[in-house]
Amino acid sequence: MSASVLLMQDIAKTFPGVVALDAASLSVRPGEIHGLVGENGAGKSTIIKVLAGVYHADDGTVSIQDTPVSPVTSEVIHAAGVRFIHQELHLVPHFTVTESVFMGQEITTRLGLSRRLMCARAETFFRDVLDVEINGDILIRDLGTAERKLVQIARALIDDQARLVVFDEPTAPLASGEIEKLFRAIRRLKDRGIAIIYVSHYLSEITDICDRVTVFRNGRDVAVLDKVDENCANELIKAMVGREIDALYPKSGHTRGALVLQAKGLGDTGYFSDISLSAHSGEIVGIAGLIGSGREELIDTLYGLRPARTGEVTLHGKPVRFSSPADAVARGMVLVPRDRRRDGLVLDMSVSENINLASLEEVSCYGIELRNRARERASRQIRELDIRPDNPAIISRQLSGGNQQKTVLARWLATRAAIFLLDEPTVGVDVGAKVEIYQLIENLARNGAAILLSSSDPGELIGMCDRVLVMMRGRITHETSAVGLSIDQLVAMTTGASTQNSAEGHADAR
Amino acid sequence: MNQTLKSIIARFGFLIIIVAFVIFFSAVNPVFLGGDNLMNIVEGSAILLIVALGMTLIVATGGIDLSVGIALDFGAAFAIVAMKEYGFGWYGAALIGISGGAIVGLLNAALIVGLKVSPFLATLGTFFIGSSVQRIFTNGGGPISHRRMPQEFRDLAVGDVFGIPTEVVIAAVLVLAYFIVMERSIIGRRVHALGMQRSAARVAGLKVNKYLILCFVAASMTAAVGGLIASANIRMFTPLSGFSYLLDAIAAVFIGAALHPRGRPNIPGTVIAVLFLGVIANGLNLMGLNFNTKDALSGIILVSALALVVAQQKLRH
Repeated sequence: MSASVLLMQDIAKTFPGVVALDAASLSVRPGEIHGLVGENGAGKSTIIKVLAGVYHADDGTVSIQDTPVSPVTSEVIHAAGVRFIHQELHLVPHFTVTESVFMGQEITTRLGLSRRLMCARAETFFRDVLDVEINGDILIRDLGTAERKLVQIARALIDDQARLVVFDEPTAPLASGEIEKLFRAIRRLKDRGIAIIYVSHYLSEITDICDRVTVFRNGRDVAVLDKVDENCANELIKAMVGREIDALYPKSGHTRGALVLQAKGLGDTGYFSDISLSAHSGEIVGIAGLIGSGREELIDTLYGLRPARTGEVTLHGKPVRFSSPADAVARGMVLVPRDRRRDGLVLDMSVSENINLASLEEVSCYGIELRNRARERASRQIRELDIRPDNPAIISRQLSGGNQQKTVLARWLATRAAIFLLDEPTVGVDVGAKVEIYQLIENLARNGAAILLSSSDPGELIGMCDRVLVMMRGRITHETSAVGLSIDQLVAMTTGASTQNSAEGHADAR
Repeated sequence: MNQTLKSIIARFGFLIIIVAFVIFFSAVNPVFLGGDNLMNIVEGSAILLIVALGMTLIVATGGIDLSVGIALDFGAAFAIVAMKEYGFGWYGAALIGISGGAIVGLLNAALIVGLKVSPFLATLGTFFIGSSVQRIFTNGGGPISHRRMPQEFRDLAVGDVFGIPTEVVIAAVLVLAYFIVMERSIIGRRVHALGMQRSAARVAGLKVNKYLILCFVAASMTAAVGGLIASANIRMFTPLSGFSYLLDAIAAVFIGAALHPRGRPNIPGTVIAVLFLGVIANGLNLMGLNFNTKDALSGIILVSALALVVAQQKLRH
């Protein structure tokens, strides 16, 4: 058996003005799950694209099974048995599973397409290789996200030629319960002797599933961990950011102030019902729950993006009924949305335009925008939040996820908002920016803001919040203090494995 | 050298094209460059320019208005009927004409904001309804003539202000107003934001519906001003005559947007594009080209000019 299934050595790639890869190396052994981590811009997606033949490296060598590959083109790489599972699903919703798996590689007999044969082959593949039962005749749109991911995997592997599979952020669209399904499939592939490269932002996933890890920083491989267990997360973070991070979450010590936001009996048929919650000034209240628990719809309803069918909301003791986000913003309640590229920023506007968008009155005189004042104001926010690059005129689309998120926060900090709804505020954000965003949230709370933090990351909820509400199937099933709460306990509550009684014990302990 | 040439093209590409056409047309026919003819071009472009201003605003909201012609017709019809049948003075007639345009805009806004119909289909519907209303009202499309209109109203088209034709002055005032609102005011900033990414603008707390209503009503009222000038010029209302401005206005807005470094619809770009269209039409006219070949030539020139603009944007990057 050869020593490495893939060996990339001293790969260099320069784009105009940016060194994306600078003598970076990556070595993957046969039959291992090899993690690839790094902050945004560290070069991990660039090296994957070099391997895929999307980018042509300026320098360096690529060998597969000890055979040098040159030039690296997508055809050669495919023929050598390397497959890519991209982050996006790229599946046609109204195709069947079988059609999706065999698209572009249909099995034909003399009579044309052999639908029966393909269907049987697909179902066998799901059963034997991925250890799931998926009906080949079902439509993609009727599948859950995890199953769709498995269809995507089947499509890449059905020809049985794969030796190395690259997973690029495979869990991004998945709920936590679905991730285990995917992991089981990945481990099955490993058992069949297929090597795997696993690219992810989520360190808990890396430590969970990977055998070895390569850490990228500034276009180089800065560390390789040969032994991976749950204790090496700190070591990984240190290697990724290049400095010691003493704590992911800032030390919290909040003084709970006046009652600011209260909801009673809020309901929207089919999504959630009988939701009562409250948030005080200076308090961070977490909302936990799986995808489909009604958590997202609840946040949208509080913000006026969806109408509430029943129940009432009071702000500072006065009943309010928001018919649009404009009403909420006018009353000092703002949202950092979960899909920041769709709802958070106007991507084709500059950072300065985005920062000032919600408070244009303050940079205008009789309705005419005072451009210098707007730019100065944006520059101040950019400095304070350390948004990089620190150029107010740059188009928001060009920023990394973390800096885009900081831009959304900067916009709301420029208003006099007192209630912050944060929906997945650190999703797709690298560790360095995460720490900064947590510090920002903490500062907001200390300055007396009331914060609702909705998240699918249990560590984040426990680390940041004072109290956590757990939603399941549209209802709040638990309310508990975050102090002393363990991740296992919280996960058990969100998945319904925990009993009602233990939670009430927690609530009393407050 | 090559590099400097490239950067010059990148910067002034479209202006170079216009200048090239001006030189070409004046070489073929010296009359082209005469002061009278240049003023002819500007004057002949005034109504299209006015209509295109409103269209720029609508395209900036991410929509399109296929009913600007109807708004123009309504402006003309309401004003002529107000003077002829009800004896209104010139300014009363003008106000009534502009209100006629506002009705068209309100119908669009009701369909788009109230019923969530897409702007394309909503304004298409308004176009059909408005066309039919005109035919019914005029018993099949006959013009409503009003030879003895007040001189002040007539002067909207044939008068002058300090020697500059009134319609050019009106167009210039509107250009300035639109420029300030769209390029300098916070309203313009919000309109651009909601046009580029509606959902993000909404989450940022912008009153998206309010601005959509405002924009569609403003665009129709502006087109109605064009209708006042058109009716003053020929002293009659000709049903369905506004349609001829629709495609030119759309073309002008998109040429203008192509001229913008970030591809946004913008007022200076629209003004340049309207004048460019005017130069081509006038130049080809003076060359005495066959009426039937003229449109084909205009089309070819338009597409080549746009292709050049795109190439120019590539050069910039």
